[in-house]
Amino acid sequence: MGRVISQVTAIASMNIRSIPQRLWMSLSTVVAIALVVAVLLAFLAMGNGFRQAQSSAGAEDIAIMLRDGAQTEINSAVTREQADLIEEAPGIARENGRPLVSAELYVIVDGTSRANGLRANLPLRGLALGGVALRHDVRIAEGRLFQTGTNEIVVGRSVTREFAGFDLGKTMRLGQSVWTVVGVFEDGGTVRESELWGDVGVVQSVFKRANFFQTIRARLQSPRSLPALKAYVDADPRLKFAVQSETEYFSEQAKQSSNLIQKLGWPLAIIMAIGALAGALNTMYSSVASRGTEIATLRAIGFGRIPTFAGTLAEALTLAVIGGGVGIIAATLLFQGYSASTLSANFTQVVFTFKVTPALCVSALVLALIVGLIGGIFPAFRAARQPIVGMLGDQ
Amino acid sequence: MNQALLVAKNLSRRKLRTSLMLVAIFIAFFLYGALECFNRAFHSSENSGAAERLVTVNRINFTMPLPVNYAGRVRQVEGVTSVSYQSWFGGYYQDQRQPLFMFAVDPVSYLEVYSGIQLPAEQRRAWLTNRSAVAVGKTTAAKYGWKVGDRVPIASNIYLRKDGAKAWEFDIAAIFSDPDDTAREGLIMMSHDYFDETVTFGRDQVNMLVFSTVSPKRNDEIAKAVDALFANSEAETSTDTAAAFNRAFVAQLGNIALIITLVVATAFAAILMIVGNTMVMAVRERTREIGVLKTLGFRGSTILSQILAESLLLALLGAVLGLGAATLAVAAAGKFIQGFGSNMNMTAGVFLGGVGWALLLGLVTGAVPAWSGMRLQIATALGRR
Repeated sequence: MGRVISQVTAIASMNIRSIPQRLWMSLSTVVAIALVVAVLLAFLAMGNGFRQAQSSAGAEDIAIMLRDGAQTEINSAVTREQADLIEEAPGIARENGRPLVSAELYVIVDGTSRANGLRANLPLRGLALGGVALRHDVRIAEGRLFQTGTNEIVVGRSVTREFAGFDLGKTMRLGQSVWTVVGVFEDGGTVRESELWGDVGVVQSVFKRANFFQTIRARLQSPRSLPALKAYVDADPRLKFAVQSETEYFSEQAKQSSNLIQKLGWPLAIIMAIGALAGALNTMYSSVASRGTEIATLRAIGFGRIPTFAGTLAEALTLAVIGGGVGIIAATLLFQGYSASTLSANFTQVVFTFKVTPALCVSALVLALIVGLIGGIFPAFRAARQPIVGMLGDQ
Repeated sequence: MNQALLVAKNLSRRKLRTSLMLVAIFIAFFLYGALECFNRAFHSSENSGAAERLVTVNRINFTMPLPVNYAGRVRQVEGVTSVSYQSWFGGYYQDQRQPLFMFAVDPVSYLEVYSGIQLPAEQRRAWLTNRSAVAVGKTTAAKYGWKVGDRVPIASNIYLRKDGAKAWEFDIAAIFSDPDDTAREGLIMMSHDYFDETVTFGRDQVNMLVFSTVSPKRNDEIAKAVDALFANSEAETSTDTAAAFNRAFVAQLGNIALIITLVVATAFAAILMIVGNTMVMAVRERTREIGVLKTLGFRGSTILSQILAESLLLALLGAVLGLGAATLAVAAAGKFIQGFGSNMNMTAGVFLGGVGWALLLGLVTGAVPAWSGMRLQIATALGRR
């Protein structure tokens, strides 16, 4: 057994060290595998970034209420009377006796994309200062919060990055009124950062939606209070609401919005991997062919079939690992943190950044190794079964 | 032995190697064909007569409503020929997560403005006379297996029925096609009158006016006149060509064209490496043979053209197989895709474009070995082992 291992190591290291002799063929396999890995990682990082922007926005202890069947904020509708009823509901946290409930209006306005200069849908959320306070993680990074009763807005960091004209101090026309950006807020790159926020009363009057809201959010005493709130809503025929935690809501949103392009990563990578596999097989068969005399010589002086087999396989796997590594590095350098935006289920732009993670790199490397394994195994069989006499006599 | 036979023999001497290269080329052209067809279908709403139609939406954003009486006022604008309007219905059939591309429209003017829509005369009559009827585009009808005369329940995730029922029961009066604008074949149209009659809110409001004009040349001027009409009113408007509107909307989904270009370029870069290097190696193996051929009196240019013919044949064969498979895949995939891109099919442009790329690939991968084959000295060739 020990002898087999030492023979395997000897042949493997000899094969690997001789790769430069077959430089161009080996390089073509490395490049092909690197490209497949880079494409896969780019798609996975895009899908991952998009999902995280939405799913990390939700809090377990915030309940969100939408009109039953609406599914998204933009399709929902809530009246003042319903909002008042929710303030009396059980399970809702209170501060100084006041329930922590935020009735919000959500309208879509136009922004101009920095990337292509075209108009794009941005959400303008009307909410009270109490509603801002409900969102724990949001912090004002520049300027200040809007004042109640004024045409002031604060905008998410992602909005200022992807859309023109929303920088601090800028003014713009939204609806029948001119608004001033008085602050920029951050929320760890989540979907919230793709929103504009203004005072709910002002947004209602400018957009002629007096006493009309889209959603109600409420801070729960604890995540366990959700069933009590649900029971209260179900018992009242005036409240035809779907009640869910923000976490649930956002993960459902992420599922609904992930479009065809985001699902394309794996199928595309697998199809491309078949092409790279053809290249790898080609390279390895030619490697075995060019080492024919060498393999026969080694077999003649006592090396076994298993080391010959393993040596060839080791060469293929080495090429795959190099290719995988190059692909991972290239994809990380090119795409990590790349900012993009797409239309969400709410019919507004969600800005997100590509996120390459170690877990995604591992799955990309596995794909590379599979290509190396299959691309090495058949040529390795051929190497191991090569007749000694024939090969030596051939010359 | 003629030239063609020699090329064929060279390609088939190592069948495994040739097949592997064919597989790599096949994959690259399959991806090119499928993705390019998707890309064209995805952007098809920006073409096909859309440049001649104008679209008016609320200046705030196109999801904001306009009063339905704007249609009558736009009709008075000089140069406007017919005006129609539509509202997004937010409809779905059975599965709430699969939105239908459904609008409430004014049927008579809709068929005037979208003059490319084709439907049999009796179906047209049935749709125009039955308020609770819908006209369904043929791709959507095929997708759900709907036929003329069927009655289907469709619910909305925006609007509620006055009578409290969950869903609307629609009679399918017509199934239409629109060969010049196949994206339209994925839509469903209900009557706006019926919509106004049955919903709890949103009556007499529309999302969008669509109209045709006497001449595309006057569109800029007419668009300005329309917007001027509603300036400083409760609902100010923004008017543009349907093509520009669609382009902005499709761009909101993401830069699909860029993604597809990058993926296809990546696939081509990979086969360029694989096939290019393999061709160099294959010709180097034949060094002695080339020396013999030259000794027999074959000219350098003959050797050059033989090697080029070999790489071109390989590239074209792989490309045609790949494009053929893409044709089948695209036809099958169209049924599973919702909305944008569902009208994809292989076009002559995509196919011929692929053949063009294959010729280029063949020339590039053959160039180096062909050149060195041509320049090879007999003495060197016969001496090399």
